[in-house]
Amino acid sequence: MTTTTTDARDIVEPSGEETEFVFFSGKGGVGKSTVSCATATWLADNDYDTLLVTTDPAPNLSDIFGQEIGHEVTAIDDIENLSAIEIDPDRAAEEYRQETIEPMRELLGEEEIETVEEQLNSPCVEEIAAFDNFVDFIDSPEYDIVVFDTAPTGHTIRLMELPSDWNAELEKGGSTCIGPAASMEDKKDQYERAIETLQDSEKTAFGFVGKPEDSSIDEIERSAADLADLGIESQLLVVNGYLPESVCEDPFFAGKREDEQDVIERAKTEFDADAMASYPLQPGEIAGLDLLADVGSVIYDGDEATVEVGSGAPAGPAQELDIDSLTTPDAVADQLRPADGTRYLFFTGKGGVGKSTIASTTATTLAASGYETLVVTTDPAAHLEDIFGEPVGHEPTSVSQDNLDAARIDQEKALEEYRAQVLDHVREMYADKEETQIDVEAAIANVEEELESPCAEEMAALEKFVSYFEKDGYDIVVFDTAPTGHTLRLLELPSDWKGFMDLGSLTKGAAPAKGDQYDEVIETMQNPDKSSFAFVMYPEYTPMMEAYRAAEDLNDQVDIDTSFVVANYLLPEEHGNNAFFANRRAQQQQYLGEISDRFDTPMMLAPLRQDEPIGLDELREFGEEITGLAGVTDDHKEPVTQS
Amino acid sequence: MIELTLYEEAMCCSTGVCGPDPDDELVELSAALDQLESSFDELEISRANMQHNIDEFLETQRIYDLVQENGPSILPITVIDDEIVAKSAYLSYDELEAALEDRMQSQEA
Repeated sequence: MTTTTTDARDIVEPSGEETEFVFFSGKGGVGKSTVSCATATWLADNDYDTLLVTTDPAPNLSDIFGQEIGHEVTAIDDIENLSAIEIDPDRAAEEYRQETIEPMRELLGEEEIETVEEQLNSPCVEEIAAFDNFVDFIDSPEYDIVVFDTAPTGHTIRLMELPSDWNAELEKGGSTCIGPAASMEDKKDQYERAIETLQDSEKTAFGFVGKPEDSSIDEIERSAADLADLGIESQLLVVNGYLPESVCEDPFFAGKREDEQDVIERAKTEFDADAMASYPLQPGEIAGLDLLADVGSVIYDGDEATVEVGSGAPAGPAQELDIDSLTTPDAVADQLRPADGTRYLFFTGKGGVGKSTIASTTATTLAASGYETLVVTTDPAAHLEDIFGEPVGHEPTSVSQDNLDAARIDQEKALEEYRAQVLDHVREMYADKEETQIDVEAAIANVEEELESPCAEEMAALEKFVSYFEKDGYDIVVFDTAPTGHTLRLLELPSDWKGFMDLGSLTKGAAPAKGDQYDEVIETMQNPDKSSFAFVMYPEYTPMMEAYRAAEDLNDQVDIDTSFVVANYLLPEEHGNNAFFANRRAQQQQYLGEISDRFDTPMMLAPLRQDEPIGLDELREFGEEITGLAGVTDDHKEPVTQS
Repeated sequence: MIELTLYEEAMCCSTGVCGPDPDDELVELSAALDQLESSFDELEISRANMQHNIDEFLETQRIYDLVQENGPSILPITVIDDEIVAKSAYLSYDELEAALEDRMQSQEA
């Protein structure tokens, strides 16, 4: 064991008698689990009693440790002092819901219970349930340190803080959109203590894991700023998966490596963390105790990383998959073309999978082949402007490509619009009742205050989203939707709200007129002749599992089938001619096969490029390389061929 | 001291400002309750809805029986001290004010 002290070590190593906490935050597929496991292993190896908590919905701890771990705390066989637990966030949310509903069963009938259940099916409830997982482990005196492979976001923490902010409201017995939290007023002390612990940088270390890509670092900076607003300091940044120098033997990968190193340098200067570490890409997936120990020693002991170029996944052409058998361009193209009125195309997937680029390329190619096309992003981190190299506004703006408009939903503006709309409505309501003794201004001020809730933000985004279904004059509307979880929230809300309205209508007579509008939107999204849902991912375990789960959710909750999947960043055959990339390619092909089996839909395949396409020329050019897009152009030029 | 208690249906948001359109009835009610609170010194208002305050229903026998017998359509129930002053509908500000004044007079009497 080396004795080098790194900054990362100072941050993570427990310093006192009390239990300390380490959180790792980051997108799926960046190696967050790997870093968490490596950290927990390193701590245990340094004689700290360590508990590893994962709330990953598709956990791969059992692959990493080579041992089954479940919903209970389990001792890791080969590592002294280390235990782990996998918490299924869906199960946790369901348990929370049932706890809330149970007492109502006495008074309510089956149908009413179902309505309440539907109500509780909200993203807020899921976030609260997730936070509860953390709260449950805050008192764990038997451990020196607890490592979480996930961290509450600024949004969640704000949600948990609200009960204390809205104390006055609660005392009056009123409840708010985050009602379920309010109902747990007795938990308020616990929540407050949990938030205090999060804010205490002596007790708690917050780390981010990211890839050596600008978008990854940008996103981390945004999340960190969000947390900083809440008094939580981000102390550690781990950049994972950079290309090792020794394997980048051609200009394509040498260029990519250079870009990555620039990003790492940039992160070093820009990111306000106390410590930063990086770990290289391995030829295979990181599993087994040796590799974990290597990761831990690089981050915490400052050792050099070991990259055994030839090891990892079994390589060789014997494994090679017949890509053509996986997909047919026609089948993809059929999902893109309008069939019955306007075609709505949804590209969904986690951040960093290249969703915006795929959506923009698709939109540009469709526009170039003659379809009137609108591309909309609901992603707050959208970089459509960078991709098109032209300004993109809140309302559809035409870009230089013929037939193509683009729009970016500005959350702030959407919220303003929504607020104005609600306040107008309330003013009108009182205007109709002149003889009332009510102080109208006070009433309006009241409503204004209510509109400061996170729910109002959700509603505003939803309103905007729905409004794009009413835009006339487009053959195709392409949605570059927000990262998966958020997307689902947006998409599910129409159903949820319908539930709310139906419930309301039990006593209030007719449901608001908006119910019909949402019905139509949901029907449109469910109709495969009108809407296509595409999941964008790259062929690795976590991105595949996340996409698959999201697709299942979409199907379970909103009854929408996935139309096709986009496998992005496929390693090109013509570059990276060595054992390292042969291994990586074999691994990709293995996952392409798994994706094809799991999703059982047409596949759009897109290659890794040295640089992301920027501007319309490059987008059109890139379109030629993507399965199904070239087909669309040809087909449209010769409309007499089979359709 | 007068106690005004409302027993309400399971709902997301008692202020009514939640959802695509605000719920007029609930917006009015919230405003009415706020105003009553400031105009009557000795008034204590509490609201219980079935989703968030189910215990209030389970522990208040009268209310429990009413909901048990009639289903949740009997809600909202408005209670002033021990007297049920309205069932199945919310009272307006004016109605609430009148009911509270009645109650105060009978207290004084």
